[in-house]
Amino acid sequence: MSKPTVRAQDLLVGYGGAPVCAPVSFTLAPGKAVALVGANGSGKSTVLRAVIGLLEPTSGSLRVLGEPVDEREVAFRAQVASVLDDDAYFPALTVHEHLYLTARGHGVLGADALVRELLEEFGLAEHARSLPVALSSGQRRRLLLAAGFVRPRSLLVLDEPEQRLDRAMRDRLAARLVEEKKAGGAVLMATHDPDLVLAVADRAVHVADDVTRLLSPAEAATLISRENP
Amino acid sequence: MSGDADAVDLTDAPAVLPAVLPGELGEVPAARDIRRYTTQAANARGGASLGSLLASVYYAVITIAIASGMALGFAQALRVSLPPTPEADAAVDLSLPTLVVVMLLGLVGILVSLAGRLGPVGAGGAEAAWWLVLPVDRRGLLRPAARRLPLVAAFVAAILVGLLDAGLLADSGARVLHVAVTSALVAAGIVLLAALAQSRGLRRSTTALVGDLILAAAPVVAVALALTDWSVDEVPTLPWFGAVAAALLVAGAGVLVDRRLGRIPTASLRESGSVATQAVGAAVSLDSRELGRALTDGAAAPTRRRLSRLRTARGPATALVTADLVVLRRSARHLVQLAIAAIVPVLVTVVPELASQAGVLFAVLLAGYVAMSATGEGARRAQMAPILDRLLPLDAKTVRRLRMVVPGIAMLVWSVVAFGAVGRWTGDVAGWLVLGVASTPVWAAAAVRSSYRPAPDWGGALVSTPMGALPTGVAAVLARGPDVVVLGLLPVWIAVLLRHVSPTMILIQAGLSAIAVTVASSIATGSLMERMLASQEEMDKQRKANR
Repeated sequence: MSKPTVRAQDLLVGYGGAPVCAPVSFTLAPGKAVALVGANGSGKSTVLRAVIGLLEPTSGSLRVLGEPVDEREVAFRAQVASVLDDDAYFPALTVHEHLYLTARGHGVLGADALVRELLEEFGLAEHARSLPVALSSGQRRRLLLAAGFVRPRSLLVLDEPEQRLDRAMRDRLAARLVEEKKAGGAVLMATHDPDLVLAVADRAVHVADDVTRLLSPAEAATLISRENP
Repeated sequence: MSGDADAVDLTDAPAVLPAVLPGELGEVPAARDIRRYTTQAANARGGASLGSLLASVYYAVITIAIASGMALGFAQALRVSLPPTPEADAAVDLSLPTLVVVMLLGLVGILVSLAGRLGPVGAGGAEAAWWLVLPVDRRGLLRPAARRLPLVAAFVAAILVGLLDAGLLADSGARVLHVAVTSALVAAGIVLLAALAQSRGLRRSTTALVGDLILAAAPVVAVALALTDWSVDEVPTLPWFGAVAAALLVAGAGVLVDRRLGRIPTASLRESGSVATQAVGAAVSLDSRELGRALTDGAAAPTRRRLSRLRTARGPATALVTADLVVLRRSARHLVQLAIAAIVPVLVTVVPELASQAGVLFAVLLAGYVAMSATGEGARRAQMAPILDRLLPLDAKTVRRLRMVVPGIAMLVWSVVAFGAVGRWTGDVAGWLVLGVASTPVWAAAAVRSSYRPAPDWGGALVSTPMGALPTGVAAVLARGPDVVVLGLLPVWIAVLLRHVSPTMILIQAGLSAIAVTVASSIATGSLMERMLASQEEMDKQRKANR
């Protein structure tokens, strides 16, 4: 049996020593997907930030790929891809160049062709030569998502990937994430989209102030629909 | 992007081969190739040629040279205007070189504080998002940024301390050079030590706090030295062989920092980069309010151990005043700034070589302005995000008047200390205290007026000067606040020059204070001239309509 990609045990996260949610425990195996669900401000993104090493856990245990989280290690960065809500780009690099830089920076050969494929898939082919300033909010979001797929990874961490995407793009993203699992990758995402949870997630974690609960995708989808009528 | 010796070859490490491969994997490029690729793309689109680069360097050098020359001339003019022999007949005094040494201690505090707030090593938004996630050697990515700050600190320290030494102490050229070299080494060393602390996980807010404490200690040291009658004859420097040894130590610290660059967590690099980007943007656009916000928020604690009970908030007006008071109370930097600004006039009046009309006038003006700036934090924040203002049932003019309360109280305390010292210097403490109290509303008005000024107007006319084009629109905006200080405190300036306070001066000052409060309460935008022209146009329109 392969070792889990992510194992969180009584993980407590927060800022300045003050936790933002109840302790979280879950295990994410290769080829599986876990969705973090919960109200706005419940702490989903904070948990994700701890998993990718941007935030030191307050207490509890957190291991990624069998090791304690340390994003300063090259091996960690080579395996863990994340798509947060970072709206920051090199003003002088085109859409194509941002993706090419990411692919080549990870040692991908034939990066140019791969970038063209992804631009087509994410509806950015017409904007390949555009600078970020010329993109709409949704297009910039798709650029960030494409950057997550243009590089090698064992774990893909997504923070509300459905944001600023239309229905068709959300469906395409769901299909992409299912393929990701089939290829052996693990997916950890925070989301408010019940359809994405049903299509992709194998388990869900309800993140809340008082207690966190493990849910089935169907239960999580119902919970999201109830919280966002 | 070609690989080289620094490259990390993932194909050599099958144990860590990622599960999902979008394509065949080869060698990971070296960090400098990543940097070069980004820079080349930027240069290709930015139209940056060698000629434009040289022109920029030329203008920078000319501007620095002219600014340094002007500052040197000003310092020497001040030195000439100061009395060569002690004018103040006081039991407690401080020598000028001792005061300069205390000022240097304060500068060290400012440097440590700035180094903590700015990182000193950081990666801005795009670099953090697109570079730091790559599996390349981070040292290569961060090296230019890590070298920049110690070099800038050394350069600025050499010029600043050199000017102080040459201007105020009128030392010889060789000695000024010696002092400048020592200062540059110390400044670079301090920034490198801060970088080492950052790489060892020390919180940036801790480094900033250490700097604030050193800065706060400077006036305390000065008072202690004055009381104990201990003084130095000149600014201490390292002997030349010591300077060489110090340079080697600084170089060693540089190598250590370079080796540890890869151990700085991304979170720290992101925070530092974000603050530095915001601060540089504010400095380039001459937006001092934004600069203050960047430096304050950059080291602010994300949570508070104790909640303020806001007991004094009993209605909309008191809620607004209480909120301003809490903002000021929670900003250690501004409290330190206020305390230091209160002690500066005291020190100037006990340094025989500075205790002249010109020296005291300069000290009161400068220290008062620095203190006033510290008190307007609540108004500055409200100008950026008027959340509380919108929630409370108060009209805009009332809000501005209420925002003068906290600056008024703080400046009253400052005035008691500063004007008390001036009164002691002239031998009429009571008269000067009354004048100080009467002038307090002007400082409060200036704090609010400068806080609510619009963003710098870069679209205004340009005036050609030897140092380049001067944007008059920006100058007009930046003058909002200082204009009230200069004009609204005319009786104070005259009283300092005459070393005498009269009841008439106090009466005029009270009248000017009332006018200053009215001006600062105004919510009209645009300059006085613009408003007069608009009013004239409106009257013309009405006249035509009546015909």
